[in-house]
Amino acid sequence: MRQRYMNLERLVNPRSIAVIGASQNPEKVGHVILKNNIDSGFDGRIYPVNINASGAIMGLKAYRSVLDIKRPVDLAIIAVPAAAVPGVMRECGRAGVKGAIVVSGGFAEVGETGLQDELTAIALRYSMPVIGPNCLGITDPRTRLDTLFLPSFKIDKPSVGGVSFASQSGAVGSSVLDMINSESFGLSRFISYGNAAVVDEVDILNFLCKDRETRVVVFYIEGVKRGREFIEVAKRATIRKPVIILKGGMSEAGSEAAHSHTASLAGSTQAYEAVFRQFGFTEAKDLKDLFNFSKIFETQPLARGDRIAIITNGGGTGVLATDALYENGLELAKLSENTKRVLRKAMPPIVNVRLPLDMAGDADDKRFAAALDAIGNDKNVDAIMAIALFQTPGADSRVAATLIHYGTSMSKPMVVVSMGGSYTKTHKSMIESGGVPVYESPGDAAESLAALIRYSRYRYAKTHKV
Amino acid sequence: MSLMDYFKAEALLRRYGIRSVRSAYAESAHDAVRFANGKRIVLKAISRSALHKSKSGLVMADLDGEREIRLAYDALAKRAARYRPFRILAQRMAGEGGIEIIVGGKTDSQFGKLVLLGLGGVYVEAFRDFSVRVCPVGRAEAESMVMELRSRAVVAPNRRAVVMIANLIVRVSRLYSDNKISELDLNPVILHNGTYDAVDLRVIT
Repeated sequence: MRQRYMNLERLVNPRSIAVIGASQNPEKVGHVILKNNIDSGFDGRIYPVNINASGAIMGLKAYRSVLDIKRPVDLAIIAVPAAAVPGVMRECGRAGVKGAIVVSGGFAEVGETGLQDELTAIALRYSMPVIGPNCLGITDPRTRLDTLFLPSFKIDKPSVGGVSFASQSGAVGSSVLDMINSESFGLSRFISYGNAAVVDEVDILNFLCKDRETRVVVFYIEGVKRGREFIEVAKRATIRKPVIILKGGMSEAGSEAAHSHTASLAGSTQAYEAVFRQFGFTEAKDLKDLFNFSKIFETQPLARGDRIAIITNGGGTGVLATDALYENGLELAKLSENTKRVLRKAMPPIVNVRLPLDMAGDADDKRFAAALDAIGNDKNVDAIMAIALFQTPGADSRVAATLIHYGTSMSKPMVVVSMGGSYTKTHKSMIESGGVPVYESPGDAAESLAALIRYSRYRYAKTHKV
Repeated sequence: MSLMDYFKAEALLRRYGIRSVRSAYAESAHDAVRFANGKRIVLKAISRSALHKSKSGLVMADLDGEREIRLAYDALAKRAARYRPFRILAQRMAGEGGIEIIVGGKTDSQFGKLVLLGLGGVYVEAFRDFSVRVCPVGRAEAESMVMELRSRAVVAPNRRAVVMIANLIVRVSRLYSDNKISELDLNPVILHNGTYDAVDLRVIT
C-alpha cells in the first residue's frame, strides 16, 4: 500500500546525491547529469556510480554500486538502460537511499507496463519516493541540484524566485524552463515527473503547497491519477498560495457512454474544468497564459475588488485598455473627489482628470509619480494598469524606475503595459526584474488582472467565513 | 444500468424536498381521462430504450377534454410500440411558458459524482449552456453555478430566483451523494410563478 502523500523533503533538498550511470563519455546522459551538478556547484556530496567504474569520473571517486558508498545518500539519480533500473533500485533500497529520480525512458510510455509496475513495487517496498521514470527530474537554482540531461549551454539559467513549476511532460517542461528567463520571473523548484509511477501530481502539489520557497505553483498536467486525493490537496494548497494549471488534452471528446443528458454534457474536460474552478485553481489555456499569470502572481499582492484605474501616456491605448477590462469582466474605477483634486493640481491643464487618465504624450516620471501616488491611495481603486509608451519624449528610464517604485510598494496590485521595439524591450526587462509585471498588450494585462482578482475572491471567500 | 421506476424516483425526490409535478401511470385512456379530472394534461411514454422522449415523439402535451385525451393516448401507445416495454405516464400541465432548466448528476471516472445545472428542455444540446461542480455542493457554490450560465438573466432574473435554483441544486447534490445512483436527470425543471416543478425524472442506478 502506498502512503497517501509521499514525503519529498529529502528528495528535493538532498545533502548528497549519487549519479548512477555516470560516465566519462560525453555522449551519455549520466555524463551530462554529473557534469551539470559539478558545474552548477551543487552544495552537497556527489557520488558517481557506474557498474564498470574504476578510479575516478570527472575527478570524483567513482563507485561500482550505490552499496559501496557506505555513506548516507539522500538522492539517487538513475540514468541506466530501462532493463537495469529494477536492479539498481533494489540496491538503492538496501543502501537506505532516501529517494530516487529515474531519468531513463522505456517504461509505460512505450508499453512496458510490467517493467514500470516492478519499479513501483520496489519503491513501495522500501518506502522510497521515486520521481519518473521517463522524466527530466529536478532543477533548483537555490540548491543547484540539476538532474536534467540537457546540456547547460543550450538552456538559459533562470534566476532564483518564487515560482515552482511541475510538469508531467519533459518537453513542455524544458521549453518553459528555457523561457522563464526572458519572461523575467524567478524560479523556485522545477520538477518534471514523467510517468508518475510512484510520485504523482498529488504528492508534488502536497509538497509544493507546504514548501516555504514556493510562492506560486505552476502545473502542466495531462491527467491526474488520484482524483479525490487531488481535490483534497488542492483545497489546502489554493488557500495558501496560487496554483496555476495548464492541462493538455482538453479538446478530447468524451468517450464514456451516456444514459442521460447530464452525462452527455459533462465529459471529462468539463469535470476537470469544474475541479479547477471549484477548488481555486487558476486555469491557463496555453503557455502564454501560464507565463502571463505567473508573473503577476509572483510579484503582486491580492486584490480587494475589480475596479481598475488605467493611467497612460497615450490616449488611444487607454481606450483599448478600457475595452479589454470589460471584456474580462472587470470595471473601470471612478476616482474619488479628493484624488481628482490632487490630480488637477499635479497635472497640466490639458489633462482631463478622469479614467482612463491620459497624462499626454509628454508625461515624464514626475507626472507618472503624481498619478500613481494619488491613485494608489484612492479607496475606490482596487488595482492599477499603467500604460507606458516608451516612444514618447517624456518616457525614459526614470519612468521605469518610478513604475518599479510604486509597483513594489503599494498595497494594491499594479501591472504595466508597454509595447514597442528594442528601447521598449530594454525598459520592459528593467521593470520586470525590478518586480513589476509588464505586458505587451492591454488584453494580456487585463486577462492577468482578471485571473489575480478571481483568485483573490476565492481566497477571501475561503478564509473569511460568511 | 437500470432506470429507476418513475414513482420510486419521485418518492426519492420528495424525501429530499424536491418538488415534481403531479403524475400517475395511465394503464388505459380511461385512466388518463380520470386523472385529468377536467384539467389539461400531458401524456408521456416511458421506456428504458428512449432517452429523448420528445425527439422520439413520445410526449403529447396540452391535452384538453376527454376526446382529445383518448385520441392522444391511442396514438401514443401506437408510436411507443417500437420502444417496448413502455408505460404511459399522465402529468398535470406545469407552469406553461416557464423557463426550462436541467439539473442532473453524473459520475466521473476520475473525480466521482458531479452536479450539473443548465438551460434545459429542448435547448440542452442546442445551446450547451451549463455549469458543473463536484459533489457535495454547498449554497455559495450552487449560486456560483447559476451565475455562470450565459442565460442567467433569463433563468434567474432576480435574487429570489438565484436562491431558489441554488437550493434546488444543493438538494439534488445531497440526494445524489447519499444514494447509489450513477446518473440523474431532472429535465426539464420548469420555473414558473416564483417556484419550480420537475416534470421529467430520469434516475439511473
